[in-house]
Amino acid sequence: MAGIWVLAEDYKHCLELLNAGQKLAETLDKQLAVFLMQKPDRADDFIAHGADRVYLLPALPEDQTMEAYIPLIAGIAKQEQPDIFFIGASLRCKEMAARIAASLNTGLCSDCTGFTLDEESQSLVMERLIFGGAAVQKVICETLPQMATIPAGAFEAGTALSGRDGQVIELSPAPPSPVKLIAKKSNARQTTNLAEARVVICVGRGLEKEADLEMARELAELLGAEIGCTRPISEELHWMPEETCIGLSGIKVKPELYIGLGVSGQIQHLTGINEARVICAINCDENAPIFDVSNYGIVGDVYKVVPQLIAELKQALHK
Amino acid sequence: MPGILCCFKWVVDEAYIRAGTGKELDLDWVDYKISDYDRNAIEEAVRLQEKHGGNVSAITVGKPDDTKGLKDALSRGPEKAYFINDSSFDNLEPSQTAAILAEVIGGSSIDYDLIICGEGSSDLYARQVGPRLAAKLGIPCAAFVQKIEMEQDKIIVERKIEDGVEVLELPLPALVTVLPDINSPRIPGLKDTLSASKKPVIDIGLDELSGSFDPCLRTISISKANMERNGVKLSSEPQDISSLVDALIKQGVIGGVK
Amino acid sequence: MDFKLTEEQELIRENMREFTRKYVDPVAVEIDENSRYPEEVIKKLAEGDWMGMPYPQEYGGAGVEYLTYAIVVEELSRSCAATGFTLSCHTSLASGPIYNYGSEDQKKKYLVPLAKGQKIGAFGVTEPGAGTDVGAATTTAVLDGDTYVLNGTKTFTSNGPVADTFVIFAFTDKSLGPKGLSAFIISKDNPGLKVGQHFYKMGIRASQTSEMILKDCRVPKEDLLGKEGQGMQIAMATFDHGRIGIAAQAVGIAQAAMDESISYAKQRIQFGKPISKNQAIQWMIADMATDISAARFLTYHAAYLKDQGKPFSKEAAMAKVFAAEMANKHASKAVQIHGGNGYCKGFKVERLMRDAKITEIYEGTSEAQRMVIAGNVLR
Repeated sequence: MAGIWVLAEDYKHCLELLNAGQKLAETLDKQLAVFLMQKPDRADDFIAHGADRVYLLPALPEDQTMEAYIPLIAGIAKQEQPDIFFIGASLRCKEMAARIAASLNTGLCSDCTGFTLDEESQSLVMERLIFGGAAVQKVICETLPQMATIPAGAFEAGTALSGRDGQVIELSPAPPSPVKLIAKKSNARQTTNLAEARVVICVGRGLEKEADLEMARELAELLGAEIGCTRPISEELHWMPEETCIGLSGIKVKPELYIGLGVSGQIQHLTGINEARVICAINCDENAPIFDVSNYGIVGDVYKVVPQLIAELKQALHK
Repeated sequence: MPGILCCFKWVVDEAYIRAGTGKELDLDWVDYKISDYDRNAIEEAVRLQEKHGGNVSAITVGKPDDTKGLKDALSRGPEKAYFINDSSFDNLEPSQTAAILAEVIGGSSIDYDLIICGEGSSDLYARQVGPRLAAKLGIPCAAFVQKIEMEQDKIIVERKIEDGVEVLELPLPALVTVLPDINSPRIPGLKDTLSASKKPVIDIGLDELSGSFDPCLRTISISKANMERNGVKLSSEPQDISSLVDALIKQGVIGGVK
Repeated sequence: MDFKLTEEQELIRENMREFTRKYVDPVAVEIDENSRYPEEVIKKLAEGDWMGMPYPQEYGGAGVEYLTYAIVVEELSRSCAATGFTLSCHTSLASGPIYNYGSEDQKKKYLVPLAKGQKIGAFGVTEPGAGTDVGAATTTAVLDGDTYVLNGTKTFTSNGPVADTFVIFAFTDKSLGPKGLSAFIISKDNPGLKVGQHFYKMGIRASQTSEMILKDCRVPKEDLLGKEGQGMQIAMATFDHGRIGIAAQAVGIAQAAMDESISYAKQRIQFGKPISKNQAIQWMIADMATDISAARFLTYHAAYLKDQGKPFSKEAAMAKVFAAEMANKHASKAVQIHGGNGYCKGFKVERLMRDAKITEIYEGTSEAQRMVIAGNVLR
């Protein structure tokens, strides 16, 4: 059955891909199939979210990781020859996607942030960022299936429709992978280097007392961020250690996202953050210099904005 | 005595990319460098050699004039390099690079126990070549590795993914892609650079390869991303905060995993 | 004409840039503030074979061209001019004369550990009454059996407080005038050699400078460098080499001033736009870029001539005077671009402006360079 396939390890992520796939399936008049791991009771839910077919992947022995499914997935793809295969861009699935694409001798658009359909060829025109985010590359995959890995949040999840029909197919176990899982350590928060952090929360003089750092910590926890501060916070108030001071005399950060909480944006500080990809500032002073270098500036009381932001993020990130 | 192959790519240094007029990128003045993550791959190969003996070779696919990259790679410790080059090997997409590497590594007399690749290249950052190469060679693979312990005929690796660390055992020969946190690459000293020019480079041209390496992905355009700080000002009203979260997710800076 | 550096030279420059980012930038502010000798950085430089660049590998060096050496000094000085000078003083002034005039035994004994960076070198010629006028020195060396006995005081000895090996000049026969000056290699362990007063300078503060006091300092005959009476020739030839290093240092300082100016001007918002949009600022930066290129070419050309074995004394003097003066001009302009911020501690341009000044003074003042140039072109 030619069609559109989706695979993701996270449930919500899967729904997002199903929604993206369903629209395409309608336009192209194709069937939509999804792979389901571990929780077979979700098959109906996936069907309600647009799947015409659900492939149930068999449970894995304890010493195997999800990559053991690769030969199984690649095998059935060779048999069924899907036109399009979307895979969630989690790290594990990225590796799986690349290996599946290699087995199928097809192309793969990594970290695809969006796509359109070329009217004439009915091919996907897929977008991704290159050169560290400096440029947008548009690609067409000239072999089948057209594959892409898609980050979580790139598409919205659709709503479940009752009364949809779908087929559930149980796949038989694949031979075990030679790669053995010996141990697993769950994610205790690691203190990574501020300078290397992907997300940085920075606190400034806009905070009134040391206890308010808790608010920043909660936000950081949510985003997997490191916390830094402006010079007065470490130098004068000693709320945070000196090595977390960001700016000319401290650390230069280059995260994907910088969020300044009550940071006014002295030039000395701005020098340390100008390599951030996205700068977001929350400050009550509308004329604070940080707004001149921000992609997003919220003019408002940090104490009101941050709790709202936390609530909103929790919802959006399904946490 | 393990044989270790480390793969590297000679890439545009994105620090030199400028916004051109209109939607174009100005690539006229760019300089090149060894892809950042590949420095970690080379360093890890050399560290394993320092610990376990054996030999380290670097391997790359590129244009015939990318010779500076070879010297750069060799100054970081490998004792020889395989240089698969052709003037058509420009802007290759991952499936091509992996196929070319696979033919050379799999089809020739290169003896290896372990292949180390960077997590991705700093230009395209597609993170495909390593896993694709493993698939083509039919060897075990682990991507996103932050620690490698080498034993007689296997490696034990720590692989860091979103929800934690997995400790995996891979029989050799195998391929791993390494994260930047695995090590801090040494800065070549003066004599390292000077001696690099004297190390052997095995030149492999397209005429020595039998496969056809047509691209699967065709690039139809490359345009500059909007790097201006667009300075959207928002209020503290709930709908504004909600639109901020949306925008951050769309920009791929939160939620999605890079 | 070939304006292209070799791939090795490009890689060496990039590696030095990476080195400075990793090891020098993080300490540059602190060592300036405390006038501290960055021993840990010098050790790292030695590990990377950066301390004896132009000398052959058989003498512990790396055996690269002087041009490559100039590139490295420039790149190091771009991060920290004091560290750049510590290296160039060690390499050009102290190791240079031993390589050029030393006996085989002296090279083995003294040059090898210097070139490997295991020992640090200094050069003592200047005296309180003898600056540009080297011949006015009063330090004497009197032969007593198999040893010379040196007495006198050297001042402004760069690397003096930290050096292990000194090249020091003294009159073996004052009556002969300049022809009576001789050069000696003296180890810091010599009980007759003492570090005198330390100088706390306006700029290049991490470079250590002191008096060196010679009191009945007994130097065995075999540590006479060159021949008796060859001192003036050795000093002048050494300065010719050293000037290439100082010119490179000045280019590095000016480059840093421009780097800082560009980055600041793009960020600093006044009247609702970055000041880089103002023509007044643009012209200052355009002049910087132009002068830096000119000075760099002069410097590289002098080094190239030396590498070709051609006379380069005039070109080294031209490079030094031009680079030093333009570095001062543009470090000052860089402070101007930074406004009040640039006048305060914390912005690099403040340090650059102080560091730049010395390049017009040491290893021959700008005036002395013009004497050399005029002497050559009016011949």
